[in-house]
Amino acid sequence: MTSTLQRVLKGFSILVTVLAILAYVGYLVIYVSYAVELFRWPFDYDQGEGFELYDAMLYSRGEWPYRDNASFPFYASNYPPLFHLLMVPLLPILGPRLIAGRLLSFTATVVTAGTIAVVVRRSVSGRDKDWLRAWFIPLVSGLGFLASNYVYQIGPLCRMHMTLVMFETLSIAFIAEFEDPEHGTRNLILGLLMLFCAGYTKQTAVFTVGAALSFVFLRDIRKALLAGSALALAAGAIFWLINSATDGAWWINIIQANVNEFDYRQTLFLFRQWFSLHTLFILLAAGYFVYELFWDRLSAYSLWFFFALGVGALSGKWGAGFGYFNTAVSAACLVSGIALARLDASKWRPFRKGTRLVVGNEDGRAFLTIMIPLLYLLQAPSMLHLPTSGPLFGPVAQFLGVNDKLAYGSDESLAPTHCAPVAYHDAMGYTQLGHPLTGADYAAGERIMEHVRAAEGPIFSEEAMFSILADKPVVTNPTQLLNLYNNGMLDTSEIIDYINQQRFDLVIFRAQFYPPPLLEAIGQNYQPVDHICMNGFTYHLLWPRRRLDRDIDILR
Amino acid sequence: MVTKRQLGLLVVAIGIVGIAGIIAVDFLGAGDWSGFGPLQQMGTGLGVAAVIVGLILFQLGDRPA
Repeated sequence: MTSTLQRVLKGFSILVTVLAILAYVGYLVIYVSYAVELFRWPFDYDQGEGFELYDAMLYSRGEWPYRDNASFPFYASNYPPLFHLLMVPLLPILGPRLIAGRLLSFTATVVTAGTIAVVVRRSVSGRDKDWLRAWFIPLVSGLGFLASNYVYQIGPLCRMHMTLVMFETLSIAFIAEFEDPEHGTRNLILGLLMLFCAGYTKQTAVFTVGAALSFVFLRDIRKALLAGSALALAAGAIFWLINSATDGAWWINIIQANVNEFDYRQTLFLFRQWFSLHTLFILLAAGYFVYELFWDRLSAYSLWFFFALGVGALSGKWGAGFGYFNTAVSAACLVSGIALARLDASKWRPFRKGTRLVVGNEDGRAFLTIMIPLLYLLQAPSMLHLPTSGPLFGPVAQFLGVNDKLAYGSDESLAPTHCAPVAYHDAMGYTQLGHPLTGADYAAGERIMEHVRAAEGPIFSEEAMFSILADKPVVTNPTQLLNLYNNGMLDTSEIIDYINQQRFDLVIFRAQFYPPPLLEAIGQNYQPVDHICMNGFTYHLLWPRRRLDRDIDILR
Repeated sequence: MVTKRQLGLLVVAIGIVGIAGIIAVDFLGAGDWSGFGPLQQMGTGLGVAAVIVGLILFQLGDRPA
């Protein structure tokens, strides 16, 4: 290769590298900006957030959130306890506010991204550690995780998903090193501990448990059987203890209530979406899995990627969604990084003259230093998401030509389920998360709170934060009631009595995810008094008919 | 340590058991669809793919999996 060509290639390599880093750092800025915005927002952004906070509040009082759904306050949690327990120490500092869970979840995403970067960096032996492998690929693999549309949207929410992914990623990172001559046993124990934590954060961790134990099984059957037995024993003992302590409510709410209707079309849709958003990461990870399967030894990482597809396959369950792909996103970022970091420059011969190779190892390296950043750069626009307003993001959105391609649509194209557009564009199209909040949203939240504070006694709200902010008891977990009702496991007589007696001074609906008999009873006993648009959703406020006569002046 | 051959056998077994289970669903009367539903078709496709992958792995002999 001539020195001129070498100079041109080096210059091009630097250019694409800088552009790729800028693109992923840009996504990080968008993510941090969104997270900070959510830290300030006091109300539910996602419908389940307040309920997760309430679980932590119950734990802090020494109470279980696994209860009888059929008796007042008709509330139970459908998730394992660890995320909520981790929130408990933050409650005395931050108060019973969503920021406790949001900070925790955001931190979990940063730890996950850091773990991905460290694992990718460690996957390269000392001899091959040039700047590309030592810094660029690990950095972009970690940032790629935070740049994922799915991670971005769910990352800073008071939801348990990202804490699960953190424990899963850490568990695989430890178990991958279980044969280390010096620290093998320690790594295996730590890996099992992380698996235990993942399982007690969210039930879908079972796929990562499968991946980790399969990896150990392939290498050392005896250790796999021992590790599997130890994990089963520990997890089973805790399971039994909680079930006994809650008189069986744990089993009903954690296992039976999660057996929901499955729509395979939703799964296919989400697989297609996941693939189109993360194409490079997935193709590289899948290619690396196939390579290891047939030509090398299977690693813990590629096995994890394969098993994580199983979680995605469950995404057609009612109540599930793209959040089920976060484990697969983490695995794909990690495995794709390892795949690229392990590309051997000496095997690349991109320039041929006739049938004779005319280039050497250095040319192969030069080719990789262009190709790898270029691939990451080409991947970046597939995941495009950003606010379309504000002094920083507004001009960027305009420059990219997406300032009028909004997540909910606008004007005549506004999605029928929404009352206002949001200044947010996402390559995944319609999505209820990810957008910034406005002054009007804060004002709307305050208006709803005025209704809540004016109500006597408990309110019947589809979101928990209105009750928590007004120091009222949280009544009902709507989706849990619906799950149980759909499975024929909910006795609705007491709750319908409460509604018929109009014992709730206020009802707040957003999506009306309640069992149909409850909705019918409310329709007969309550009347809409206000409709407030907040966060793009219409909140319907209903009063009992008895109160309409008493407090009609308030409405005027 | 498990070899590629042993892993291949395991994968073939999983594929065959999976296909058998999917067919058995019809005899047990489970599922919402009459006849061979779309989920069954996908499951059978995955089962056949597993059998093919398993057979290839089987050919790879005693190399570590």
